[in-house]
Amino acid sequence: MRRRGALSWKPWGVMALGAMAIAPATPVFAAGFSVFEQSAKATGMADAVTAQSDDPSTIFYNPGGMAFFERAAGSAGATYITETRAHFTGANPFPGDGVTASEKKLEVFPPHLYWVQPITPQFQVGLGIETPFGLQTQWNNPDTFPGRYLSTLAAIKDFDINPSISWRVVPELGIGAGFIIRKSEVALERDVPAQDPFTFTTVNAAKVKLKSNYDTGYGFDVGFLHKPTPWLSWGASYRSQINVNYSGEAVLFPRSSGDPVFDTILAHSLPYNTSIGAKTEIKFPAQASLGFAFKVMPDVTFEVDGNWFGWKHFDTVPLDFPSGQLPSSTIIERWKDSYAVRGGLNWAATPAWQLRLGYVFDQSPQPEQTVNPLLPDANRNGVTAGIGFRGHPVDLDLGVMYLFFADRTRTTTFNGDQLGDFFGTYSTRALLVSLTVGFHR
Amino acid sequence: MYRTTALVSLLALVLLVPGAALAVNTGSADFTNYVSAGDSLTAGFMSGSLIDTSQLHDYPVIIATQAGVSDFEQPLVSPPGIPAILHLVGLFPTVIVPEPGQGQPENLNLPRLYNNLAVPGETAGTMITVKSDVPSTGKPGLHDLILRGFGTQLEEVIGAKPTFVSLWIGNNDALGAATSGNVALLTPLPVFTQEYQTIVGAIASMTGAKMVIANIPDVTSIPFVTTIPPFLVDPTTNQPVIFNGNLVPLIGPKGLLGPGDHVLLSAGPDLNKGLGIPRPLGTGLPLPASDVLLAADAATIDNQVAAFNVVIQATAQQVGAAFVDANALLKELATTGIQVGGIPFNASFLTGGVFAYDGVHPTHFGYAFLANAFIDAINQKFGAAIPPANLSPAIFGEAIGGPLGSASSLESSTASLSSATLPIVWTRYLFTAEAMRNLESVLVTPTSGSGGHHRRPH
Repeated sequence: MRRRGALSWKPWGVMALGAMAIAPATPVFAAGFSVFEQSAKATGMADAVTAQSDDPSTIFYNPGGMAFFERAAGSAGATYITETRAHFTGANPFPGDGVTASEKKLEVFPPHLYWVQPITPQFQVGLGIETPFGLQTQWNNPDTFPGRYLSTLAAIKDFDINPSISWRVVPELGIGAGFIIRKSEVALERDVPAQDPFTFTTVNAAKVKLKSNYDTGYGFDVGFLHKPTPWLSWGASYRSQINVNYSGEAVLFPRSSGDPVFDTILAHSLPYNTSIGAKTEIKFPAQASLGFAFKVMPDVTFEVDGNWFGWKHFDTVPLDFPSGQLPSSTIIERWKDSYAVRGGLNWAATPAWQLRLGYVFDQSPQPEQTVNPLLPDANRNGVTAGIGFRGHPVDLDLGVMYLFFADRTRTTTFNGDQLGDFFGTYSTRALLVSLTVGFHR
Repeated sequence: MYRTTALVSLLALVLLVPGAALAVNTGSADFTNYVSAGDSLTAGFMSGSLIDTSQLHDYPVIIATQAGVSDFEQPLVSPPGIPAILHLVGLFPTVIVPEPGQGQPENLNLPRLYNNLAVPGETAGTMITVKSDVPSTGKPGLHDLILRGFGTQLEEVIGAKPTFVSLWIGNNDALGAATSGNVALLTPLPVFTQEYQTIVGAIASMTGAKMVIANIPDVTSIPFVTTIPPFLVDPTTNQPVIFNGNLVPLIGPKGLLGPGDHVLLSAGPDLNKGLGIPRPLGTGLPLPASDVLLAADAATIDNQVAAFNVVIQATAQQVGAAFVDANALLKELATTGIQVGGIPFNASFLTGGVFAYDGVHPTHFGYAFLANAFIDAINQKFGAAIPPANLSPAIFGEAIGGPLGSASSLESSTASLSSATLPIVWTRYLFTAEAMRNLESVLVTPTSGSGGHHRRPH
């Protein structure tokens, strides 16, 4: 048993490297830039699964659930995320009434991989590879998009390596904990403006592209799952805040004016096409979940969950250029902690087939004043449906989520915000389709 | 070309007036008859010129448009304006010249008083007393063009029977002292106080109009004063000349200039002649007093502006006027700068995007930004919901063109980066002799010795 377990780590190591290569930039799909959809079963139930223990994704949702695994099990899958609408309408004073813009159609596949391995009847180990955060906001027509001096592309890629252990303290109670190694990368692109002294109009002078290395942050998660009666289980979990300090490089690319005088001035003034060291930091929030699952009928489980996200530490994002070749700046965010409520239903219609429904309300942590083209967030309501097949030894799950974002309108700016006004309304709809293949002994 | 530009601008303006203009919520302010009073800043003066390409985008017309006013009339002047507008010929060296010719009045026969009665160069005193420039200069001037003999500016403001008045006066009671380095040109505080209270009191009591009032900006923070450093800069490298490890100070009328002293933008031609520059690089002769604003004089001016502003704010409060803190706005521009949608603007000459070629008056963006500050103040004071103006056309030049129309950008599309991105230090600001005469006529020449506060228009 132990040998098998030891052997099984090797391929996971390789897969972790693979995940690093493919870890996609994902958009904002739980509020903020959290991505809570980490298995197809969970997606089908609006991720209200904290109090359940029948899916290896419990490593992510509640490591206490691992304690109830009596046989080895694993799963692998991905969530296809796309936006069916990502539209911006401007307002005065800037960029002005009548301005419209749209985001480039998003198509990403954040993956998830889990393995739970009982060591003894009381102790289990597991490994999860998850993509719990991610962001990609990329605007169409970046050369003319009126927010191009704020952002034409903002991306945060991220995946967690999450080795975990659990202990079934008594038959009704399991506790678990994990260590989180977060690998993450950020990319930012925007245009650099200049004032043309011949026309007193703003012109594009350069495009700056900033990309970080895949840097690392560390954290932990803990959870418990308690099944006091056959019809009720409840549990809670906590994933810690993880700060990732990034280093990377920024490169300024010239914007050809077609005028040699102009180009000469810019070439003398700007460090074009050279690597400029850059540093930034993102404080990924802690998150906590509490869930109650009720077996309302022998075949029907209903769960209701609440989540808390500790976004208040996502206060500012520094952009430092230690060499002084570019001016350092600080992006003001001033997010607040946010909450989500979720309800999910699983009906085991036959021993082999399960049908699922769910609903989520997810509150945006972003204050109106910092809604901007880097990251326009909004409250959202989501409806979900799913279907699962339970075979031997293979399981298949499919979950679908449709998210209705509340229109998000910005009409104010914080004093001292270095970016200034950028007013308007963002309108977003998103579709998520998760597919997970499971294996159990 | 200019006419086309003006026409296009006018059309754009008309089209921008929303169909729902009548539905604008102006709160307890009544814009049925809006009249604007003041000086060059209110007249829409830009780059040394009263010119329709700027007047059609001055802050009063923006307020009027946003408040749903459709018949806001102004004393428009055709390009190249009166005096002819300055334009930038090149950056290395920086040469600024006036356009050839002179503009003509376009709206002289309007059978009523203008809505915008502001006269460039007006002080609080001349607003009360001057109907025409003929007695002081022997020939008609901008007072005659704008007031058309119907009265003084104050008399016409009252005669127009306004329901709403914007008033921004007093700038020239301090500005001339800064732009000529002569504190004797400051209006004495008791005189200013009496004149200012007379103006506001008369408008309030004789029209009953609600008002918005702006105070006086920090006139020593404008590019005309702050651009040229008081030490020697190598024109080939744009770097300060270092001699024995020290900067080389220029020579002012009272000896070597110190770090707090200012060399005015108008000193360009004298510097080019070698004045103010030590031997052997220059003549070793001092700059004339009118080229320099000494640190102590700048402090005197700042204190006087602060004292004027106490009077202005108190007077505004007495009559229940909305108040625009233009002084704070300019301070912000001159220190941290402002940002709009990630675009930095500041008070730098040529590269800051806010001040045009005379180093005193705003660009289209500057005026639009000011207009929104007025609208904010009106909305707050009178419970109105006048929408802010769209800054995009002023920022990107859509439907406006530059101060000279789009032709100038084709002429030489040289541009610079914003100073937030990199500091380009221009060392040589060469206003041609013609441009200097033009500038002097609007900036620095006191009129026939009639005390400290009667000066030529700007």
